[in-house]
Amino acid sequence: MSEQDILNAGAESPALEAWRMFRRNIPALFGVVMLTVIVAATLYGTFFYSGDPFEIVWAPHEVPGATPEFPLGTDYLGRNIVAGMLTGGGPTLAVGAAAAAITMVIGIALGALAGYYGGWVDNLLMRITEFFQVLPALLFAMVLVTLLDPTLTTIAFAIGVVSWPQTARLTRAEFLKIKELEYVTAARAIGARNKRIIWRVILPNAMPPLIVSATLTIGVAILFEAGLSFLGLGDPNTMSWGLMIGANRDYILDAWWPVTFPGVAIFCTVFAVSLIGDGLNDAFNPKLRER
Amino acid sequence: MSLLLDVQDLTVRFALPRAGLFAPRHYLEAVRQVSFQLEAGKALGIVGESGSGKTTTAMAAIRLTESSSGKVLFEGQDLLTLTDEQMRQRRRDVQLIFQDPYSSLNPRARVADIVREPMDLMDIGTMAERQARVVELFKLVGLRPDQLNLFPHQFSGGQRQRISIARALTTNPRLLVCDEPVSALDVAIQAQILNLLARLKSELGLSYLFISHDLGVVRHVCDDVAVMYLGKIVEKAPKKALFDAPQHPYTQALLSAAPSLARRKSRGYVRPLKISGDPPSPINPPKGCAFADRCPKAQEVCRLTQPALQAVGDTDVACHFPG
Amino acid sequence: MSALLQINDLRVTFRTRYGEVTALDSVSLHVNAGETLGVVGESGCGKSITALSVMGLIPQPPGKIAGGEILLNGEDLTKVSEARMRGLRGSEVAMIFQEPMTSLNPVFTVGDQIAEAIMLHQKVSADQAMKDAIALLDRVGIPSPDRRARDFPHQLSGGMRQRVMIAMAVSCRPKVLIADEPTTALDVTVQAQIFDLLNEIQRDFGAAIVLITHDMGAISEMADRVAVMYAGRVIEDASADDVLDMPLHPYARGLINCIPNLGRDDDSLAEIPGVVPPLHLLGAGCAFADRCAHKAPRCAVEKPLLINHGHHPAACHAVEEGRL
Repeated sequence: MSEQDILNAGAESPALEAWRMFRRNIPALFGVVMLTVIVAATLYGTFFYSGDPFEIVWAPHEVPGATPEFPLGTDYLGRNIVAGMLTGGGPTLAVGAAAAAITMVIGIALGALAGYYGGWVDNLLMRITEFFQVLPALLFAMVLVTLLDPTLTTIAFAIGVVSWPQTARLTRAEFLKIKELEYVTAARAIGARNKRIIWRVILPNAMPPLIVSATLTIGVAILFEAGLSFLGLGDPNTMSWGLMIGANRDYILDAWWPVTFPGVAIFCTVFAVSLIGDGLNDAFNPKLRER
Repeated sequence: MSLLLDVQDLTVRFALPRAGLFAPRHYLEAVRQVSFQLEAGKALGIVGESGSGKTTTAMAAIRLTESSSGKVLFEGQDLLTLTDEQMRQRRRDVQLIFQDPYSSLNPRARVADIVREPMDLMDIGTMAERQARVVELFKLVGLRPDQLNLFPHQFSGGQRQRISIARALTTNPRLLVCDEPVSALDVAIQAQILNLLARLKSELGLSYLFISHDLGVVRHVCDDVAVMYLGKIVEKAPKKALFDAPQHPYTQALLSAAPSLARRKSRGYVRPLKISGDPPSPINPPKGCAFADRCPKAQEVCRLTQPALQAVGDTDVACHFPG
Repeated sequence: MSALLQINDLRVTFRTRYGEVTALDSVSLHVNAGETLGVVGESGCGKSITALSVMGLIPQPPGKIAGGEILLNGEDLTKVSEARMRGLRGSEVAMIFQEPMTSLNPVFTVGDQIAEAIMLHQKVSADQAMKDAIALLDRVGIPSPDRRARDFPHQLSGGMRQRVMIAMAVSCRPKVLIADEPTTALDVTVQAQIFDLLNEIQRDFGAAIVLITHDMGAISEMADRVAVMYAGRVIEDASADDVLDMPLHPYARGLINCIPNLGRDDDSLAEIPGVVPPLHLLGAGCAFADRCAHKAPRCAVEKPLLINHGHHPAACHAVEEGRL
């Protein structure tokens, strides 16, 4: 057996290796299945349950299961909860994903610059980050949404604006660590410009914890959207799980179901996303690979 | 012989973190007025212990660490006065091999891309020419072309060091800075890499600035040797002079401390020259000779005035009582 | 007379993702009182595992002592209870590690740590233990020991920390002192100081030292006898002079010839081609066969035993057959 055969035994690209680890993680796979089901239901569910979720179709507060047409019952206005669940999922997930994307873009950009350049750049950016961190996030998001009119876009934007500081700090910490490694000096030694070193050398190596953080941010953003809707600051013209909870919360003691079903849906989504995030974290951790 | 590198009075200062918001800023002089010359096709070894500033000197000489004063004339051109873009272009002539073969290669890049990257950055040749050059380099350093698409972690330490060398040679540099290139490797692998470096030097006419703490390795690779202590060169000599007749007490101590097969416990070997203690802190260097506190020969004058480098035969030595 | 520490046919296995691998395979070593045994080899050859086995510090699982015996004064350490082993550790056999920073507790002063080690094994008052600790610091060459005893590990240099480790290791006058690469993290001038100190300690305390190292130069200066290890086996075992002047095993020859020598200028160093094979891929034959210039068909199928074939013991078919 040659030297290289010996060393090649079981070795592959870092991404493939992470996938191999992930595949063996049962809870994470369960999360993937759960999320796939939820996404599929929100994407294709309307084929089976067409109709306007805002339309009043029956008597209010119909108990789930009492009428076959409305298996999850109706809400306080007599709207079909199944229709709300299926059409409301899309916007909820979209807001979560968009907010997470905005969070990552702002956080990674500022964190990378602060971590790489250090000095006054770092000082300035970190003071800005701290400013955003000390503001109470929910309150600040409420102010933004109120100022900007609540639409899905502004809500995603508001959530992104209040949640990027953590990502920025994480990115900065990774950059501080990685920029000291010799392959970064090696890149400078062969004449790479700063731009290339930041985005092509350091960032790909900083990605594993950032991907984990992005996944978890989706969960947090979905909760955030629900929170805003619950407080009546959601987009009133788009059905979402948060809006369903917000609209029905006053009657929670009379009818538990209009609030519970979207609540369970949000819980399941966030839970699935967290399981995936945890799985990714383990998959990217080389220390666990030996097991 | 043409002069390739002429370093004059190179000084590197690092700012230390302030103790408080308004506390005065302290500086650490890692490299203090270091001067040396390297001729084309030769290898200069810089020897010293941790904290001697040997790596910082080399890094500052090729502008990977910022220096605070001095000149670095590379083929007559002062590298320290070039703009960033000019320096970037110049990097094709000065390349670098690192100590740690594990952290010096980007773990997320395939090794062929790692070796090709300098040509991509410098815009050298067509893609096909670059690929051909990568294959050629792989053979030159003793790797097989079928290993091109692997990732760094699929190689052993010695092989990674070969990849690092291939990357450094990509642009046909004239100067190769080798920063402890074998100290992280097992002895059997060390020999492989040292032989490779020796072969490349004679085949390609490379010049080395060779940083090491290991006198045996330096003796094997280098033509001239400079010994550093606390940021200064204390002795600089052709290899033979330095190993046969070391002039500075620190050089003598280093030679006496380095383990050697010639010294046997069974034959009752007892180290002739013992020095105690550790080097002083570079934050607060002593006024006189930095080695005075550990030196068996130290006199009053050693603690008061810093000795300058002076010629003793072929050797330059910074000591009040050389020999 | 039997040796102070005698290891016979020790076999240690580890459970890994590749299944069970044999980290040590029929390792036999001995060291007499007042003697220094050098154990030399590259990373992964099993030299540190040997040391940890003697200390009873092999993590079990995944490790397992699968066979053989470790006799200290005739007592088999592989069979004693954990409580007995704790009693022996420190008092009869002590160990110095490679990285003194990580082997000292950062939140206690070095004086406290040495005093604690003393009180673990001796019935003395805290005051007396601290006095002993300061005396030990003085003994290992630490200047102003009473002040240094109040320092925390990070306030000391690497060489000072290693001296503290040595003071702690010899605090109860162990009969066997195992030094696992004690100077790898240190500069050469400091390494020389530590070597000289170990020799002095040995003269004063009469301890047997097992020096584990990758450095043949260190072996030459420090060891009376040498065991060369490769891939979990001892492949040559003799007096330092025999091994250094007349190495028999091709690997031992390679190790000695590939060192750039301070005393001579050589054009080209001897090379050992290839790398050490990972333990899980070891076959039935000699582990060194793939890198060996003297390989014969027999080497691929039959493990050579460590037997004296004339001069001194070496585990090599080529030596046995007189081809070398």
